[in-house]
Amino acid sequence: MIGKNTPLWGKKTRLKSSYDAVIIGGGLHGLATAYYLAKEHGMTDVAVIEKRYIGFGGAGRNTAIVRANQRTQQNVPLYKEALDLWPVLTKELNFNLMFNNCGNLNLMHSEAAMNAARMNVATAQFHGVESHLLDAKQIKEMVPALNISNDITYPIHGAMYHPPGGIVRHDAVVWGLAKGAAKLGVEIHQHTEATAIHTEGGKITGIETSRGKIHTPRVLVSAGGYSAAIIYHMLGIKLPISVLTIQAMVTQPLKPILDHVVSSGAYHAYANQTLKGEIATGAHMDPWPNYTTLTTAYYIKHQAQALSEFLPCLRGVKFMRIWGGLADMTPDMAPIMDGNDPIDGFYMDCGWGYFGFKSCSAVGKHMAAYMASGNCPDILKPFHLRRYENHRLMGETAALVNYTPDN
Amino acid sequence: MSLTLTCPICGKRNGYEFRYGGEDKGPRPAEEGLSPRSWCEYVHMNKCVAGVQKEWWFHRDGCGTWFTTHRNTLTNLEVEEPEATS
Repeated sequence: MIGKNTPLWGKKTRLKSSYDAVIIGGGLHGLATAYYLAKEHGMTDVAVIEKRYIGFGGAGRNTAIVRANQRTQQNVPLYKEALDLWPVLTKELNFNLMFNNCGNLNLMHSEAAMNAARMNVATAQFHGVESHLLDAKQIKEMVPALNISNDITYPIHGAMYHPPGGIVRHDAVVWGLAKGAAKLGVEIHQHTEATAIHTEGGKITGIETSRGKIHTPRVLVSAGGYSAAIIYHMLGIKLPISVLTIQAMVTQPLKPILDHVVSSGAYHAYANQTLKGEIATGAHMDPWPNYTTLTTAYYIKHQAQALSEFLPCLRGVKFMRIWGGLADMTPDMAPIMDGNDPIDGFYMDCGWGYFGFKSCSAVGKHMAAYMASGNCPDILKPFHLRRYENHRLMGETAALVNYTPDN
Repeated sequence: MSLTLTCPICGKRNGYEFRYGGEDKGPRPAEEGLSPRSWCEYVHMNKCVAGVQKEWWFHRDGCGTWFTTHRNTLTNLEVEEPEATS
């Protein structure tokens, strides 16, 4: 099928020998950056190079949850902008992204967790993001399916409620952005593998691909979980990244029972009901780096145990499908966006871990501004790579979680 | 996901018994003349090799031994003789 038919976004074009900018990775960050380069900066001579097909990686494997209730003052405004962009992009791209702002309910299972949530809520409110605390009784009124009794492993104390968050259809974002970018002149080349990045005198001069050489003064690597390996292999730049597999699964379709995204740190589980009726749910990561997307019974059991405790009505419901994707984790759980350092014309957008989907719209906009002007927009400045050697790690996680290799 | 590791004391065991200890980065750098950059390099920076890498493991739910092994990150399998060094 793929390769024979005309793609959704227009006729296939020949790979040219030169472009103003080349983006390695046809995922959401790459496509969004290409779209905004063309739309807001008039840079239409842009190629998106994708080894497999667009949306193959994290773009099509995430659990489609969007929210802006992160922890630090550097991160929250970026995610807020991304969240605000969904309805805007839906109109602009004339493509239904199926944004369902059903709200996120983040369960807290101890008074200590409630205190941590209080700080998160204060940060959110300071940045104009709607977020507040609920007690167990209020949660029960909102989501009657939840078990707020004391007879489970981690009884529910309360929750952090974030009404503007929710779910976006991730494939629709891939297709909408591809269509939008192509319409403005961006070329999308699938089944084209970048094999080398060429530099001369500290400047980017081009890339080598499986279909030939391309001259370009600007290269962005936004290849999700594959970025760190690509950047080290092609440029010798090491990154503070560990690439882990994260699994997700869906149950058989059910009648509507869950009209919020419900998540729990203590249970390492999050769940929402899709528009098709399935309960889509995910767990924590397999705690060792690898590039497989293998799945295991271990996590099916884990999800079944967690969900049947706090959503007991799901006992006996069958899982229908399970899949895995890659998450490129950094020690401070915050991404790396940088450019022109140490190579002029080289940009990177990686280290998103499991936050790549919810951030893609705003990041594409700002990375495009970065690449078009060569100057880092203020909102991206805190995310530079050198923060690690300067001991300016961000506090996106209160304490290192035990499933990262850094703990 | 399936992973079997060979502990030097306990032999082949389920991967979930172990804690990953990071890429092997050689000996800890000397304190003398240590710069923030070289310390950061040692503490945080990884090669993220898609292939065989030498890495540390800790038999957390077992004998408590720290050891190194070679594993192919593309297949999740231990390799006896490293096919390549990272």
